[in-house]
Amino acid sequence: MSESDRPVVLIVEDEPDVAETYKLWLRNDYEVRMAHDGDEGLDLLDDSVDVVLLDRMMPGLSGDEVLERIRERDLGCRVSMVTAVEPDFDILEMGFDAYLSKPIRSEQLHETVENLLERSDYDTLLQEYYSLVEKQATLEASKSSAELEESDEYDELKEEIGELKSELSESLGGIGDDADFIATLRGLSNGEDE
Amino acid sequence: MVKTNKQSENMYDLSTVLDFDALDSVRPGTSLLVAGPAMSGKEALAMDILKDGVGNGEGAVVVTTNDQASSVVDDFRTDVPEMDDSQLGVVDCRGDNSGGEAAQSGAYTHHVNSPGDLTGIGIGITKALEGLHKSGRDQGRLALVSLSTMLTYTDKKTVFKLCHILSSRLDSAGYVGVFTIDSGAHDDQTLQVIKQAFDGLIEFREEDGTRQARVMGLTSQPSEWKEL
Repeated sequence: MSESDRPVVLIVEDEPDVAETYKLWLRNDYEVRMAHDGDEGLDLLDDSVDVVLLDRMMPGLSGDEVLERIRERDLGCRVSMVTAVEPDFDILEMGFDAYLSKPIRSEQLHETVENLLERSDYDTLLQEYYSLVEKQATLEASKSSAELEESDEYDELKEEIGELKSELSESLGGIGDDADFIATLRGLSNGEDE
Repeated sequence: MVKTNKQSENMYDLSTVLDFDALDSVRPGTSLLVAGPAMSGKEALAMDILKDGVGNGEGAVVVTTNDQASSVVDDFRTDVPEMDDSQLGVVDCRGDNSGGEAAQSGAYTHHVNSPGDLTGIGIGITKALEGLHKSGRDQGRLALVSLSTMLTYTDKKTVFKLCHILSSRLDSAGYVGVFTIDSGAHDDQTLQVIKQAFDGLIEFREEDGTRQARVMGLTSQPSEWKEL
């Protein structure tokens, strides 16, 4: 069952040839699931899915509607819209994390999936960082500065915090990109009760 | 495009607004927390830091949970008459859109439904930065007023993360950030956690009827309390 360690990508695409092509490109690196329309996509969606590639124009539920339900269900997955038309800035406002415009090349597809996974890693790192900072604040509030100076636990904590901080600053290119910035903020609202 | 000939290139001199040595050469990308009791002048300081930058030809982004966008714009126009509207962006998070706001000419304003809508705030900031960048303002300052209001809409964990992400974004943009918090409105642990998201702290207090301030985190030793 080594399969289960790999990130899970769900492809929601009504054109079978296109879906098969994506799968072919991705299957060496990820566990790939396929849905042929929006309803099937929602059925296949659970906590284990990391990235959704969502075709915007499908018979039945549209990509926008599927996205809305995904956000309602508060799943932590990242969603890239796949579209035939180049969208403007609004895709971020609509709640998508990224977009791919057809025709898509293999390299592009990999880059997008990797970037979306990196954002999830960033969320995890930031959560870890927060937990340590909170622990530090609790220690500082409960011990005198003399006690803190002698505490190995406190030293280690400070060191760990420093390491995580620099790891975060290297992740996602230090949030230099608008889409990364907004998607990371969206991750905060989505994952509030984690 | 005005390229100001500052003494040391690209550094921000905030000491003209608040006279501390630690503030005379602030690295681009620095985010500062301004903490103090209610009515101690934190928010005025944050605005003065931005206005000073606008006077130097820099960009300014105000993220406000308290004031109507139009009153922020008017305030800047009054205090910095030479301001070009393209220098200012305001993200108004009060969520009160019904106020019959007068049409703004030039200055970019963005309305967000609530101080808890972090994605909306992010979009507003992104658009404001984009506008400033397009008009050639590659240096600038951002103020968020106030974190205390945000803390009533969302928990300290989320506000901490928000501050961290915003600081990272400002760092990439080469901006300076000032964020205000009412130190009397939160417990020590919350303040301690929030502080950790910043590079430095400007602290206000009232002592024997005088207002005092000090600066921590930007130099190896905190500054002494100084009467204002």
